Amino acid sequence: MSEVTTASAPIRDRLAAAWPHVVRWGGAILGALVIFGALVAFKGANPLEVYADMWTSTFARPRSLTEIAIRMAPIMLAALAVVVPAKAGMINVGGEGQILLGAIAAAGVALLVDQTLPGTVTVALMIVAGMLAGAAWAGIAGLLRIGFNVNEAVTTLLLNFIALDLLLFLIYQPWRESAAAQPATRELAGAAKLPTLGATGVHVGLVLAVIAVIALGWLLVKTRWGFRLQVVGGNAEAARRSAMPVTWLLLSALLVGGALAGLAGMIEFAGVEYKLRSGFGLQLGYIGFLASWLARHRTGPVLISAFALAALSVAADSLQLDSGLPAATVNILTALLLMAVLGWTTIRKRKP
Amino acid sequence: MSMILDVATGGVRGGTSILYAGVGETVSERAGVINLGTEGSMLGGACAAYIVAAETGNPWLGAFVGALVGASLAAAHAVLVVRRGANQFASGLAVLFLALGLTSLFGASYVGESITPFQKFAVPGLSSIPFVGPVFFNQDPLVYLAYVAVPLVWYVLFRTRIGLLVRTAGERTEALAVHGYKASTVRMAAVVAGGFFAGIGGAHLSIAYTNTWFENMVAGRGFIAVALVIFASWSPLRVFGGAFLFGAALALGPALQARGYSVNQFALHVIPFVLTIVVLAALGRRTISSAPAELKRVFENAPADP
Repeated sequence: MSEVTTASAPIRDRLAAAWPHVVRWGGAILGALVIFGALVAFKGANPLEVYADMWTSTFARPRSLTEIAIRMAPIMLAALAVVVPAKAGMINVGGEGQILLGAIAAAGVALLVDQTLPGTVTVALMIVAGMLAGAAWAGIAGLLRIGFNVNEAVTTLLLNFIALDLLLFLIYQPWRESAAAQPATRELAGAAKLPTLGATGVHVGLVLAVIAVIALGWLLVKTRWGFRLQVVGGNAEAARRSAMPVTWLLLSALLVGGALAGLAGMIEFAGVEYKLRSGFGLQLGYIGFLASWLARHRTGPVLISAFALAALSVAADSLQLDSGLPAATVNILTALLLMAVLGWTTIRKRKP
Repeated sequence: MSMILDVATGGVRGGTSILYAGVGETVSERAGVINLGTEGSMLGGACAAYIVAAETGNPWLGAFVGALVGASLAAAHAVLVVRRGANQFASGLAVLFLALGLTSLFGASYVGESITPFQKFAVPGLSSIPFVGPVFFNQDPLVYLAYVAVPLVWYVLFRTRIGLLVRTAGERTEALAVHGYKASTVRMAAVVAGGFFAGIGGAHLSIAYTNTWFENMVAGRGFIAVALVIFASWSPLRVFGGAFLFGAALALGPALQARGYSVNQFALHVIPFVLTIVVLAALGRRTISSAPAELKRVFENAPADP
């Protein structure tokens, strides 16, 4: 997107320049697939059949494409929640908790007003509440970073566990619908559920996510705020010397990130789950983290990486149904892909 | 009084897995590498130990294989970070995901399987000391092993040439080169050693403490260990105290419930995590300034681009 290519460069030269990248990425993906195949074979399944099943059930059924579209929306937002702080040189591992807080706030609003106010008003309130709650949760880590010099990667991670306990506390006691059923909140009123796009079955959360990608792409590249974030991320000392409000920039990056994750939690609540239960949004934050790294913290490629990871999560279901392997097995493939990307797709800059 | 005794005993029992992981992570961080994959090494260790204990009936062999699996997972982190220059936080999480996937693939058929776990035994003499005896000397063998291993790690780190190499790798890598050592090799060895300890920690969880295996059973203990190392200011001996403190926080819930107090379990489960954050904040500036120099660089200037 921001790459500088001269328009006059012959196509042949550009292809030659792209070739090493194609080889590296191709090699990385192939390597991950081979290792995963070997492990699956070790457990007694035929890797080719497993891959074939994963492929057909992920792409050959129309219902699966809908499912991918639904799943990629929160992943995109959770990835952006990592992208923005990363621009300022910070690592937000707290998507998981920020998503939960967004969902909890949305559910809280819903429990209060979804039966009295019109649906659209409830939705608007849920969006605001979800984003504020996500931002506040990330803001705790932000304040600890700027006020006490505590590393945000560690605190955002720990806050995930606190958020999970908060969710469980709420659904087991104060917000529990019925003591007889599984612990969960009351279902969101029909009018406040996110509408779907025509007859596709895909809720409008996808539109919100795409808008967020475009908006962030613009904000990060074209505004003074975005430019300054990149300066802070590149060299905080230089930013400080040129009198930039570094403290505020760091905090704002985490707040914006948290708000995006909170929105992810809100659309997952109001578009997919409709109630809080244990296991709500499980691993969405971590998958978003991976999506951001796969996209090298750039907004445009987040669309591709989120699509790929959403497809993998649909494939994971097929793994369980068709091949009898635990769905969590797909984490191996995800991890290997990330490792390949982290270690083998860039030319190293610095010798340790 | 019996309540305090229960919490203290449970603290030692429940804190041991965090202790092993924390001591391992101390070695790794002293060499300048933070490893969030500690959580994954624990998970790998817990699963492997359980499988081996179930298959062979020998918990010692289980703990050893668990340690090796923990070390192997850490080796993946070491290669990525030290050899390939990958971001330490992202690489650590990748290792965690690898461990989550591998343990669910290989561990699934062992859920609900019965094993021969480590048995508690009272140390003759020592266990009859009031309070101290039942708390510290009526435990399982891996707890006793920790009493030996932790001071030993301290000794190696601060009183031997190997320890000097590890600490120099985390402080002044150029100094190693001057003396003909490769900083990268030392750092890789330290990370792998850290994973070995985390593996034992995981093994303690599955075959000495809970005596069960289920998906993702480590549930954040590895992350607590990483945070614990920071506020123990990279000293194995302070990790010792910290780990048992966390164990006690974890033991508080069950102890209260056993006495008929109706406390919400999640309000108690959250304590160690909140405690970690509060302590990190309280010590914030002081601890970071005492961090190994290479580690400080990781903390303060996390690269935005991979």
